[in-house]
Amino acid sequence: METIYTDLLSIGAGLAGERVAVEAAMAGFDTICLSIVPPRRSHSSAAQGGMQASLGNCAMGAGDNPDVHFQDTVKGSDWGCDQEVARMFAETAPIAVREMAFWGIPWNRVVPGKSTYYKGGKQFEKVEAKEKEGLITARDFGGTAKWRTCYTSDGTGHTLLYTMDNKAVETGVKVHDRVEAISLIHDGETCMGAVARCMKTGKLRVYLAKATLIATGGYGRIYRETTNAVINDGSGAIIALDTGIVPIGNPEAIQFHPTGIVPTHILVTEGCRGDGGTLLDVNEQRFMHEYEPTKAELASRDVVSRWMTHHIRQGKGVPSPYGYHLWLDIRHLGEQHIKTKLREVEEICNNFLGVDPITQLIPVRPAQHYTMAGVRTNKDGAAYGLKGLFSAGEAACWDMHGFNRLGGNSLAETIVAGRIVGIKLVEFLKGYEVKFNTEAIKDSVEKDKERIERLIGCKDGKENVYAVRNAMQDELMDKVGIFRNGKDLQSAVDNLQVIYERSKKVGLKSNGIGASPELSLAIKIQGMLRLALCVAHGACVRTESRGCHAREDFPERNDRDWLKRTLATWKEGDTLPTLNYEPVTKLMELPPGDRGYGSTKIIS
Amino acid sequence: MTRRLTFNIFRYNPQDPTSVPHTDTYALEEAERMTLYIALTKIREEQDSSLIFDFCCRAGICGACAMVINGRPGLACKTLTKDLPDEITLMPLPVFKLVGDLSVDTGTWFRAMNEKVESWVHSSKKMDPTVQEERMDNALAEEIYELERCVECGCCVAACGTANMRPDFLGATALNRIARFIMDPRDERTEKEYFEIVGTDEGIFGCMGLLACEDVCPKQLPLQDQLGILRRKMGWTAVKQLFGLAK
Amino acid sequence: MAIDTTIYVRPQSGISAYLDWLQMLTGAGLILFMWSHMILVASVNLGVGAMNTLAKFFEDYYMAQVGGPMIGITFLLHFALAARKVPFRTEQQSTIWKHSKMLHHKDTWLWMVQAVTAMIILIMGAIHMWTVLTDLPITAQKSAARIQGGFWLVFYLILLPMVELHVGIGFYRIAVKWGFIKRKTRHGFDGFENILTMIFIAIGLITIVRFMLIKV
Ligand SMILES: Cc1cc2nc3c(=O)[nH]c(=O)nc-3n(C[C@H](O)[C@H](O)[C@H](O)COP(=O)(O)OP(=O)(O)OC[C@H]3O[C@@H](n4cnc5c(N)ncnc54)[C@H](O)[C@@H]3O)c2cc1C
Ligand code: HEM
Ligand code: HEM
Ligand code: SF4
Ligand code: F3S
Ligand code: FES
Repeated sequence: METIYTDLLSIGAGLAGERVAVEAAMAGFDTICLSIVPPRRSHSSAAQGGMQASLGNCAMGAGDNPDVHFQDTVKGSDWGCDQEVARMFAETAPIAVREMAFWGIPWNRVVPGKSTYYKGGKQFEKVEAKEKEGLITARDFGGTAKWRTCYTSDGTGHTLLYTMDNKAVETGVKVHDRVEAISLIHDGETCMGAVARCMKTGKLRVYLAKATLIATGGYGRIYRETTNAVINDGSGAIIALDTGIVPIGNPEAIQFHPTGIVPTHILVTEGCRGDGGTLLDVNEQRFMHEYEPTKAELASRDVVSRWMTHHIRQGKGVPSPYGYHLWLDIRHLGEQHIKTKLREVEEICNNFLGVDPITQLIPVRPAQHYTMAGVRTNKDGAAYGLKGLFSAGEAACWDMHGFNRLGGNSLAETIVAGRIVGIKLVEFLKGYEVKFNTEAIKDSVEKDKERIERLIGCKDGKENVYAVRNAMQDELMDKVGIFRNGKDLQSAVDNLQVIYERSKKVGLKSNGIGASPELSLAIKIQGMLRLALCVAHGACVRTESRGCHAREDFPERNDRDWLKRTLATWKEGDTLPTLNYEPVTKLMELPPGDRGYGSTKIIS
Repeated sequence: MTRRLTFNIFRYNPQDPTSVPHTDTYALEEAERMTLYIALTKIREEQDSSLIFDFCCRAGICGACAMVINGRPGLACKTLTKDLPDEITLMPLPVFKLVGDLSVDTGTWFRAMNEKVESWVHSSKKMDPTVQEERMDNALAEEIYELERCVECGCCVAACGTANMRPDFLGATALNRIARFIMDPRDERTEKEYFEIVGTDEGIFGCMGLLACEDVCPKQLPLQDQLGILRRKMGWTAVKQLFGLAK
Repeated sequence: MAIDTTIYVRPQSGISAYLDWLQMLTGAGLILFMWSHMILVASVNLGVGAMNTLAKFFEDYYMAQVGGPMIGITFLLHFALAARKVPFRTEQQSTIWKHSKMLHHKDTWLWMVQAVTAMIILIMGAIHMWTVLTDLPITAQKSAARIQGGFWLVFYLILLPMVELHVGIGFYRIAVKWGFIKRKTRHGFDGFENILTMIFIAIGLITIVRFMLIKV
């Protein structure tokens, strides 16, 4: 079998993976990134809105600084984050943005003089200062005290990823695309790399590395309705969970986005609301200001998502063949604004709905959007439990987002964490030697080979992999969604356990030769169910509401009993994850308080 | 009212010795707002699980799903079936190496392209994290972004007769990329250095002005205009070189 | 894989650029020539005397004797330069042919037309030039006699549209390749170019008819 040695193996070539890889490559280490798709197609490219950094250049961001950003982040997390990490993050974000500018991002810049903007459907005026001309500007995004979201029109993720990959090419980072890691190689103490399947040829390959990084992004595809790319099915989290040692942090912390278009759930950016777009109900009337008088449409996304669902439940949804939805209205922003500042949105509506947002309303409803959950690491990005294993980006629970991440904070996380973890990883690599345990390697490979043979040969049954996956997605969407309650959650756990048993009987219909997409899914279907069970079980046990974990039966945030982070591991042979807990943060710089939005009661 | 769609799909799995290139036909009931992403996914999940094709963002952003749709290269995820006739023929992109059925290896091609045009800002400066960023005019930033919108889908390459005939031709996407860096004041490369890369028959002088690139680009990049500007620029550089004036 | 960077060698700096300049300039030169040629030949419509005077004028100043071979050389040079782009290997030919059929794309087809007409022009143009230039001086009567002979009538009926198509498309292509036509103006220019080509073909046909009517 082909075996490849390297210093750093990054599983994932999105923003986070490549940022870490670039740091290692610049320090002279041999670096390989694996990716399911060519690196520039990673889901980071889909982020449109922008990323947060407290540069304070634009008029509406005047006076901004890392302190304010830190506070917004902690409040946003509903005090579920690690405050040390959040502090580090807020301090580093401006540097990371400038670094990306240096590397080539065409950030939008301050244009001095008067201009108008919309908030809650009303027009306001602002004046940009002459002395700030040409500095990186920012726009408004939900849940922040200042305008802090740096952007490039509406292709921020795209330009970030392209610039990052340019840097990767420049620094000689090797990328093996269409290669999917299917298990980690470890001996219970040290991680030595991964077994991967080439998605061009179907062949297995062994990657041995001094350090392995999981930067595989989010896993929205365990839900039926999600804004995530079709490749975001959690394989990174799965291989970590499969070690039985490395925990998934806060698996129940899943965020929903208010404006996925119906029926495909492609996201239209929060920038729409930031720029003054409004939400309308079946009577084409605004409603958000009734629930959130000050912030209205600009309240944080979990709050907006929740009120949207609530409003639909009140019978105010618009009926359609795809179920009830609401309207997003950006018509009043005008053709000029929509065609320049919101061009991607215009394209999306025209291309995927046949709707012209300049003259028509956009059908939207909330969809799964972001996984705050992820591979639990310390503040240096080192995963709990295995030496030589790291994680960064959306795949990680580093944990600056706690129970809700703010819009624009995740792109920022990828390059900030990438930078910080990269530096720490380089320190780790310097002078570190690993003994590759041949037994453990052989073990892993044999297991994976056998797994695949059994699937192709239908040795355990002929269960259809797509049917199993769909059943799982329905269960999560309907019962582990935005509003949760004990009864539904328990039923979800029970049903998922049944589906988990089915997943063990999956067998291929096709021959599984070569690129075989069916085999790809079949390999991870059991892992996806374990992951789903972590989410459902974690949510079921957490009897409080925090951030976007909203329990109807426990509406208050309970700092007395639940100011702690869930750590889920999976012992081989079990049918439920093992849940442990740790304090959310060692350093409580900002003591728990009111978020200032959402009407949560707090038990302290 | 609902149509019954017929899909003729190119099939070949190069990894499978028993597979030969052929066309398979599938029938599907059309649904409201159906895109090729929805249709192909349905076919794979309900009719033929061996079908290979690529989707990633399914939102026209990542460039993964380019294929030849009724003769024209385009993004499958942003193609609504209602804009197509009852009979839909799908082929993989030419020029790129076939992975299987409708899936081609664009990753290797584009990485090589990026290496060849040295697709990064060449700067002799060192980044100082403590100082304010260099200023840039917003209009210029937006102009650069306009060219940076390329999603490396490969449609322009697949549609280009020159690229089909000559495997070493760089293609409109690469030429556009160079144009983007020429525009960027942060890149310190000289006229001569750019000329070395694209002032050749593999580069701008290989382009025959067929304009299929311009006409198929799903992101509507201003390829025609940029190719014209680049040819003139490189043409003048060559003339200046003749008189020893090129920088 | 299309680009193999490991075997990539920096080409001789500038060669491609100069050749492209020359290709464009010879093309443009030939266009100018064809327009002058049109004036000479079509002047017969104004009367036999008009054409003869023009022809004599050219000859008296040795334009035909020197200019003729010059045009011949330009013609061959242009051919040599443009031929670099024409697929001669059968494999390439079948690629571009299949490609054009698949794509349904006008500008790609136009190029195919240009390449095919080029081959015809190469042969017929050379024969024509040889015939005319070895039989100086040019007079309307001699031309008329040739055409009325029948063979040359058919010959010109084929060559004329070939040349005009090639010239018309060539003109458009220079403008596109060198950025004189922009995305915004392309569509309008298309139409203009078509009309121009039609007019030239029409004038040519009228001229041929006129030659048929001259008594020899
Ligand atoms: C529609 C949308 C819009 C968004 N908009 C914004 C926004 O405006 N602002 C903001 O801050 N955030 C936004 N986000 C969130 C943000 O984009 C992501 O959190 C972030 O880009 C994740 O980056 P990443 O590098 O961690 O992962 P990704 O970019 O998802 O990269 C994951 C990488 O891992 C690879 N991979 C996965 N599994 C494997 C495996 N098993 N083996 C090998 N490789 C593997 C993939 O191929 C890919 O290269 C948005 C998210 C979505 C879905
Ligand atoms: C009177 C005769 C001719 C005229 C007026 C003429 C004119 C032109 C012009 C203006 C162009 C565009 C140049 C460019 O794109 O740079 C062109 C292109 C071309 N010509 Fe001619 N030409 C003539 C004869 C020929 C002949 C004999 C050939 C024989 C092979 C030929 C082959 C071509 C080809 C293949 C091209 C396309 C080149 C490309 O697209 O890059 N031409 N011609
Ligand atoms: C110096 C070179 C040339 C000279 C002196 C010349 C001269 C003439 C003359 C005298 C005629 C009238 C018919 C005849 O006498 O047979 C004629 C017609 C014609 N020539 Fe040429 N020619 C030259 C080059 C070319 C070239 C290069 C082409 C194209 C490739 C060309 C294409 C034609 C055509 C199509 C006609 C018929 C025109 C019509 O009916 O309007 N000629 N030429
Ligand atoms: S230029 Fe257009 S067609 Fe070509 S790769 Fe880029 S986006 Fe695709
Ligand atoms: S199609 Fe090809 S020949 Fe030039 S104009 Fe576009 S690159
Ligand atoms: S799937 Fe990303 S562009 Fe079509």
